[in-house]
Amino acid sequence: MKGLAKDLGGLIGRQGVWSDPEDLYAYSTDMTHYLARGMPEAVVLPASTEETAKVMQYAFKHEVAVTPRGAGSGLSGGCTPLHGGIVLDMKRMRRILEINPGNMTAGMEAGVVLRQFHNAVERMGLFYPPDPQSQEVSTLGGNVATRAGGPRGVKYGTTPNYVLGLEVVLPDGSIIHTGASTVKYSVGYDLTHLMTGSEGTLGVITRVTVRLLPLPPTRRTAVAVFASLDEAATMVAEITVRGTVPAKLEFITQGGIQIMNSFLDPVLPLTGEAYLLIELDGTPAQVEEDAVRLEALCKEMKVLELRMVPDEKQAQTYWKARINLAPAILSIFKRMIIEDVTVPRDRIPDFVRWLQNLSASIGLVIGVGGHAGDGNMHPTIVLNDFSQENEKKAREAIEQIVKYGLSLGGTISGEHGIGFHKAPFLLWELGQTQIDLQRRIKQAFDPKGIMNPGKLWNYGGAA
Amino acid sequence: MLNLDAYRDLITKCSQCQLCQTTCPVFLEDMLETHLARARIGLIQAAMLEGKMPVTRRLREIVDRCLLCTNCTQTCPSWVPVDEIIAAARFELHKGKRRGRIERYLMHQAMKQRGPKGLMEKAAPLAKKLGWSPEELPAPAERDFDHRFQGVIPAEGARRARVAYYVGCATNAFYPETGEAVVRVLARNGVEVVVPEGLSCCGLPALVDGDLGTLQEMVRLNVGVLAALDVDAVVTDCTSCGLLFKAKAAKVLPEDDPVMARAEALAGKVWEATDYLNHLGLVSEPGPLGERYTYHVPCHRGWSPTLADAPRQLLDRVSGAERVEMEHPEACCGAGGAFFMEYKALSQGIRSRKTEDIDRTGSETVVTQCPACRTYLAAGLPGRRVLHPMALLARAYGF
Repeated sequence: MKGLAKDLGGLIGRQGVWSDPEDLYAYSTDMTHYLARGMPEAVVLPASTEETAKVMQYAFKHEVAVTPRGAGSGLSGGCTPLHGGIVLDMKRMRRILEINPGNMTAGMEAGVVLRQFHNAVERMGLFYPPDPQSQEVSTLGGNVATRAGGPRGVKYGTTPNYVLGLEVVLPDGSIIHTGASTVKYSVGYDLTHLMTGSEGTLGVITRVTVRLLPLPPTRRTAVAVFASLDEAATMVAEITVRGTVPAKLEFITQGGIQIMNSFLDPVLPLTGEAYLLIELDGTPAQVEEDAVRLEALCKEMKVLELRMVPDEKQAQTYWKARINLAPAILSIFKRMIIEDVTVPRDRIPDFVRWLQNLSASIGLVIGVGGHAGDGNMHPTIVLNDFSQENEKKAREAIEQIVKYGLSLGGTISGEHGIGFHKAPFLLWELGQTQIDLQRRIKQAFDPKGIMNPGKLWNYGGAA
Repeated sequence: MLNLDAYRDLITKCSQCQLCQTTCPVFLEDMLETHLARARIGLIQAAMLEGKMPVTRRLREIVDRCLLCTNCTQTCPSWVPVDEIIAAARFELHKGKRRGRIERYLMHQAMKQRGPKGLMEKAAPLAKKLGWSPEELPAPAERDFDHRFQGVIPAEGARRARVAYYVGCATNAFYPETGEAVVRVLARNGVEVVVPEGLSCCGLPALVDGDLGTLQEMVRLNVGVLAALDVDAVVTDCTSCGLLFKAKAAKVLPEDDPVMARAEALAGKVWEATDYLNHLGLVSEPGPLGERYTYHVPCHRGWSPTLADAPRQLLDRVSGAERVEMEHPEACCGAGGAFFMEYKALSQGIRSRKTEDIDRTGSETVVTQCPACRTYLAAGLPGRRVLHPMALLARAYGF
């Protein structure tokens, strides 16, 4: 739209609006940049809810597409501005407004970085468990918008389990406050959790209220090495059956460990086909009891090696290496496509075996890792040769993985969201009736179809 | 190294994980993704390698608005050498002419002599008076380091090692007492120190400006002197000079250059002074100090894995020297060599986050190896001492 950047600059000041081609290019993708790129017409960085509301009023009046953005580290293309318009970068709204130990809640602006928030609450002996692996950069607003989760999902759940209330700017610029600062809330439709996971298609999340837990006083990290994928997968279900719910339970194959080793000292032995990276937490007595139980189980399961990491400082290097794993894959391969299929925990052995067969039959390298403790697997297709044939195979493999995951009673996305990347598969999981219903919800919020068009519901500007 | 085309494949290793957002000081100040390592190399790729976008003034601004602090390179899980890509892009954009002819001439003179000697030295007080030189810069020392020490300083007691001491421009012209501290502390601990003649600037300022000719000239000059010495190690008190010799010097020479092999051999011997001393171990016990200090880790630390802990471990041996850690000891101070002179507001913003962090430690003294950090931090921390860790150690020895 002609004069868009100038108009927006007039509304919120020029320091918050960028529109040189270089700036537009810098905001044209997320971590799925190899799939699609969309050039916005303006990048807007509001400093407050009021500024966000002004931008939305303008966009609503002139029917300009708006794509909200946190860190831009997403894995589904959720913040790729497919239909141009405005990218609304929320990272300048980064104040933690309140941490209330008495009520065990915290309130903050949407652009607060998760790691900063973790540090702030943990200094006070409090705990906010959701830990997407983008936690070093991802924002609370982005976490809420995608229902983000991570390794701790197995014991503590994911972002939606902690969100109590939101401040949202609706597409027409009006501001609503959903939920409350209480754990219990039984008032009307639960708009808080409708917005949670809405991927910027219903409105702009500007503030977030979450609940907190007491910080577990003790943590212990262990790595178990398995001769086969199958044994490791079996162990995942067995640990919980025996009464231990680890804080984190990560499934990693040898290829993944090879990459992680470049961040570890001492390195892990490359004798196993699969590895479980485990964190136990709780009171010292409970952690000790769980550790003893884990050691006994490992003996029984004939693991090749169980490494109990001696101290918290060293343990941190394992989890940092785990965070680095996905991006570091590109130091070896030219492309990776990370899937997010989640299956019931007891079906993990079936899923892993099936993936191995698929990889062999289709002729693609498909790594598998994931937050196995909660069934959230990340089959990862890696490519070095982008021939048309390989691209086609990759697309086919993704479809088959998604279908098989669903057939096991799973879901197509555990924590990354749909964006545009998984939108074609929605029908398989939801069915036409649910899709129609959800589209009517979308229309009720966003009658002009300006909010993040092209995501979730694969259509453009028209609702 | 300054050939952008050689980085074509490495740029594609960027997964856009955005982890550079955690440490890029310019991004953390501007909070604009265009001013972030990830976007910079993406734009360099699109405009300069793929020709998908024109090369514009805005692109130059984005490429220049970078401290070359290497934090992104150290953070990147895919090992993308972002700093080298930026330097190569600058070389291609500016062809060594980022600064005007007179400025380049004066820079070149100063680099060859390791400090503003001759005409520049005479002009310096006048320039300061007229407000032409930045207020942060201290006045040059009365006598340069190379006028105080030359030749061989013998080890005290049994000789444990023989090292060459490379003194960079800042220590030579502005902080000769740091050099003195290095020499005395090393000698006290059984290290014979050779102070060679005929050295020049390490060349990093030319790398920053994308001036390949001057950079290669400095590398050839220094490698010629240093590689010819019969020493166990080459130590420097400056983390940036160390970075240049250890990680860049050999790379900036043409492939068939006869100096390259010697530059590589030299790189194997280069140590930062505290790192070297800590590696060797103290044999002389330092005396006590009553001092609370905090340690600012210089950005140019990536070339040695033990560099950041060496000052901490050495000073932990001094009784009464109480180390209080900052929340972010590794965060950039905003100096970036001479970057702060050009990007005043940006650098001051970066520095104010650093000085707030320092304030919270309640330390009266800040130690850090990098002379640019010391200059810039001292200007932002009036009333506080900012020292090289070797200088604090020298005080403990009673020098």
